[in-house]
Amino acid sequence: MLLAVVAIAVFLLVEVLPLFWPDGASFPLEALWSSPDVSGEPEYRWLPHRLDDAAVPQASLAPLLWGTLEAAAWALVVAIPLALGAAAHSSLYMSPGLRARLKPTLELMEAMPSVVLGFIAGLALGPWVERHLAQSLSIVVVLPAAVVLLALGYRWLPDRLKAALTLRWAALWLIPCLLLLVWLAMSVAPMWEGWWFDGDLRLWVEESWGLDVQARNALIVGLAMGFAVIPGIYALAEDALSDVPRELAEGAQAMGATRWQTLTRVMLPVALPGVFSAIMIGAGRAVGETMIVLMASGNSALMTASPLDGLRSLASSIAIELPEAAPGGSHYRLLLLAALALFAFTFLVNTLAEVVRARLKRRFTRRKGDA
Amino acid sequence: MKIPGHTAVGMPGKRRTREGPWAWLAAASVALSLIMLGALLVLLSVKGLSNFWPATVHQLTLKSGETVIGVPLATRELPSGQGLERRYLTANRDDGGGIWRWLANDQITEDTTPEDLVVLERRHWGTFLGRLVALQSGDQRLTGPDAWTVLESRLKEINALRDERRRLTHDEILPLIRSMEDQDGHRSEDRRLADLQRRASELQQRMQGDLVVLENGQGRRQEQALAETLEAWRPNAMAWHEKLGHWVRELWQFLSQGPRDANTAGGVWPAIFGTILMVLLMSILVTPFGVLAAVYLNEVAHQGRLTRLVRIGVRNLAGVPSIVYGVFGLGVFVYGIGGSIDRWFFESTLPSPTFGTGGLLWASLTLALLTLPVVIVATEEGLSRIPLHQREGALALGATRFETLTRVVLPMATPAMLTGLILAVARAAGEVAPLMLVGVAKLAPQVPLDGEFPFLHLERKFMHLGYHIYDAAFHSSDVQAAMPLVYATALLLVTVILVLNLTAIFMRHYLRKRHGAPVRR
Amino acid sequence: MSIDGELPKRQLAQARLGNRRGAVMEFSAADTCLDIQGLTLAYGGKTALKDLTLRIPRHRVTAFIGPSGCGKSTLLRALNRLHDLNEDVSRHGQIHLDGHDIHDPRVAVAELRRRVGMVFQAPNPFPMSIYDNVAFGLRLQGGLSKRRIDDVVEWALKSAALWDEVKGRLRASAWSLSGGQQQRLVIARTLAVEPEVLLLDEPASALDPISTLKIEELIRTLKPHLTLVLVTHNMQQAARVSDYTAFLHNGELVEYGPTDTLFTHPRLRRTENYITGRMVG
Repeated sequence: MLLAVVAIAVFLLVEVLPLFWPDGASFPLEALWSSPDVSGEPEYRWLPHRLDDAAVPQASLAPLLWGTLEAAAWALVVAIPLALGAAAHSSLYMSPGLRARLKPTLELMEAMPSVVLGFIAGLALGPWVERHLAQSLSIVVVLPAAVVLLALGYRWLPDRLKAALTLRWAALWLIPCLLLLVWLAMSVAPMWEGWWFDGDLRLWVEESWGLDVQARNALIVGLAMGFAVIPGIYALAEDALSDVPRELAEGAQAMGATRWQTLTRVMLPVALPGVFSAIMIGAGRAVGETMIVLMASGNSALMTASPLDGLRSLASSIAIELPEAAPGGSHYRLLLLAALALFAFTFLVNTLAEVVRARLKRRFTRRKGDA
Repeated sequence: MKIPGHTAVGMPGKRRTREGPWAWLAAASVALSLIMLGALLVLLSVKGLSNFWPATVHQLTLKSGETVIGVPLATRELPSGQGLERRYLTANRDDGGGIWRWLANDQITEDTTPEDLVVLERRHWGTFLGRLVALQSGDQRLTGPDAWTVLESRLKEINALRDERRRLTHDEILPLIRSMEDQDGHRSEDRRLADLQRRASELQQRMQGDLVVLENGQGRRQEQALAETLEAWRPNAMAWHEKLGHWVRELWQFLSQGPRDANTAGGVWPAIFGTILMVLLMSILVTPFGVLAAVYLNEVAHQGRLTRLVRIGVRNLAGVPSIVYGVFGLGVFVYGIGGSIDRWFFESTLPSPTFGTGGLLWASLTLALLTLPVVIVATEEGLSRIPLHQREGALALGATRFETLTRVVLPMATPAMLTGLILAVARAAGEVAPLMLVGVAKLAPQVPLDGEFPFLHLERKFMHLGYHIYDAAFHSSDVQAAMPLVYATALLLVTVILVLNLTAIFMRHYLRKRHGAPVRR
Repeated sequence: MSIDGELPKRQLAQARLGNRRGAVMEFSAADTCLDIQGLTLAYGGKTALKDLTLRIPRHRVTAFIGPSGCGKSTLLRALNRLHDLNEDVSRHGQIHLDGHDIHDPRVAVAELRRRVGMVFQAPNPFPMSIYDNVAFGLRLQGGLSKRRIDDVVEWALKSAALWDEVKGRLRASAWSLSGGQQQRLVIARTLAVEPEVLLLDEPASALDPISTLKIEELIRTLKPHLTLVLVTHNMQQAARVSDYTAFLHNGELVEYGPTDTLFTHPRLRRTENYITGRMVG
């Protein structure tokens, strides 16, 4: 197995190295980052098709790196709160019966082929959000706010209702509530759009911030990729939390801590390395994900911070361009360099995560041995 | 508790006794994840399955006096904000080019659903919506209700003839031609070919001769050869059970036929077949390696620093992006090994590559590498579940280590291996990115398995469900027209993968019940 | 504590009623700290406690003894509602703490658990410093100044007879302490929130004999100040430290009475068999 890892690494290295050989293809190293434009200012452009006939090669990997990181960052922004929230809820609050069913359900979520997610994000969700910007924003704002209100208002509910609607089963009975809220959020959206944004949020964003809303943008990619990495982060984080010895959680609760206090003050500090490694592995997956970015991002190699613009990532560039690049040419080697970068990054991240996890496991077993 | 010398802390009223809003947000995040999953599945099912249902066709009269026949689709608000507009599928691409039309609701003065509207599925120009005027069969001209009954029965005959001809071409004529290419022509074979070709053209002859006279919304008439028509139905006149029958038939055709109209219509059979074949090949490749590696790691190797390192390596391999595997497959398998094979064995056909380009074999190999960690991890888990006393029991009876392994340990671990394999298959079936590099094709009319020696063509490109989704959704001439089929394909792919995963989950559940939790090493 | 004959009639009747199966108890209703009435607990359809009725006296040590699986730990955990953490637990009967039903929906579980502290079989200090461990419960309450917390931590560690051993390294990780020290740290942590009842679930079973003696000594010093309930496997330990002993078997209360009486003149054959070691596990 080690052999396979080594084989991949060696192959990529061997194919990439000629790029840096002085007598090989004459490819200036600085061009990997940026190339001067007409006036001498550095420009970050990815135009590999003109590698051979252009005087100055414009094959900066910077926009691709930027796109990759931007997409992964948005994916994590979506996935981390949801996945960690779900892990916390299912390891502390949820009824064991429900939890035993939830885990495989989220596994199914992970098994969703990325090409389907990309398709839905790029062709169904993207255009919908573009047309219903106000509604989408409304949902994002209303949902968390409403849940907090629900939590604050919960104590005033009649006792009988409280007995039926416990936190233990909240994951289920919140579903219809949330659906209702989504509907509510969507139906009030046109109202506030009219009050504050002259009836057209999209136009307003364009005029006051100068942002053009594209159907396929970084946010959509983030959402779809977040969906793809939630189950992975959830499973590992949940494992890390459940590996915390039971006595600790019980001890804290026997002291009168609420379950949330137990989580934040006792379990989380212990499980933090595990949770961290879960996030790292999620990041690794998001960085290497190809089809979702390919289908939902618009694939324009831009370097803008606007989440409403398109982007192009390393992985999707490889998928699009490699079949057309001549083997042995500069373009081919550049793409292989991109693959090497992806490989090295995920390799480092995963090794780190594995080591952290293994160390955590041993720490608990050792402690048990002492006691 | 009071102890002398100590003053009580006293319990301040601030004490938190309830779970705060964070707990509820955490619960909501579970609910939200489930909603997202559910919404995705519902969207796919509804959009994917409704496509085959014979939709009601409407006849609209506009303010301008124009008559439009179409199937209502999406509704949206007018840009001006006053009223709604709706998109209609008006089909009839041969009549003006477009097949969609947006109509504002207040433009429509009359909206009816007459029973005599027909839908024709044609080999060229896509769907037709309109009325049947007459059926011209030779000199005979039928009109009115008779025309429809005759048309239906005649269409059935033609479809049977078409199937017959397709079978003849694919199974007899084409193989014969190919075998004749290799050797110099023999008299008898020439004669056989001529005979077959005559039969084919005879069938073709029998299909032709009928003309359908059609009338579109504006009353313009056109003629359509019945031989070029695949199917005809009158959705508004159908009872629900007829509609159900039609739905089942369409669904079946989707699963069993090849694509038409540049992947915007027809079925996905070659893609299903290609996916299955590739996954099978991959399983054959990955199982022995995966199982051997797991057995070695868990049973044979000394459990030390090195095995731990190897385990980390395996986990790592699972985390490497699939596109990197694709790059590896392209560089090593396709250009490296495939290129060498071409130079040594297929020199005559160079420069056009045989194995030096993406193909079934390379795709299977790449995916086998990709799914190796899945199989190893699952098998290892199964092996570590087997209690030590089982092994010791066998050893105590005088069995050697090898006999213990093959007679006791492996049979007990078989379900775990199967679980791993199923998960690997599910992963491979959904993987697209590496395939784009190592051998998937947009349209491969020949499936890689046929009656011609060596029957299984490892070097051929093949179609894949996942890639079909990507291609039809992004590279077809009319994305809107392709959407329903993309939804259906996506639903199919998701169904297959979910069923595989569910099987694996149930098997694992059953295993846990039988053997208990794994022994950690 | 009163003698049987001096009790008013009603209280006497109550005391008798409270010990359907056991001896007549020698304390009045007013001295009752925990009053368990007809408690039945079942999890997953399996009954762990069957119709238990007993009263636990204030500022005394009460021991629960019995073979493994007899329900003594279950009973202990029921006293501060730790079973709420489990799913399919069904309960009948009441538990009163100082006359208040602890299952009353108006009772905040966290506050109940503050008043009824618990020490577990295996020492479970939190993965933080010694100081933070003791301050944990205080910080949960909030609203206490730094100096106040310092005071309470010192006091709690002194009360748990640990201060002299750790005063120089309060910031060290609690996991660096020995097993016996860890257990006393856990007791100190519990004492810091001033509980009225302290539940001890085989607190010494994972410790060496010297540490065990220290814990037992600590139990004796704490007795005048709070009610202690001890679950133990160790007959001698029960005899050494407890004032009252309840013998449980198969989820039923077999015999309950002053420890001296129970160990020297058990009324029932089953009890005798167990304490003399003729009935094992």
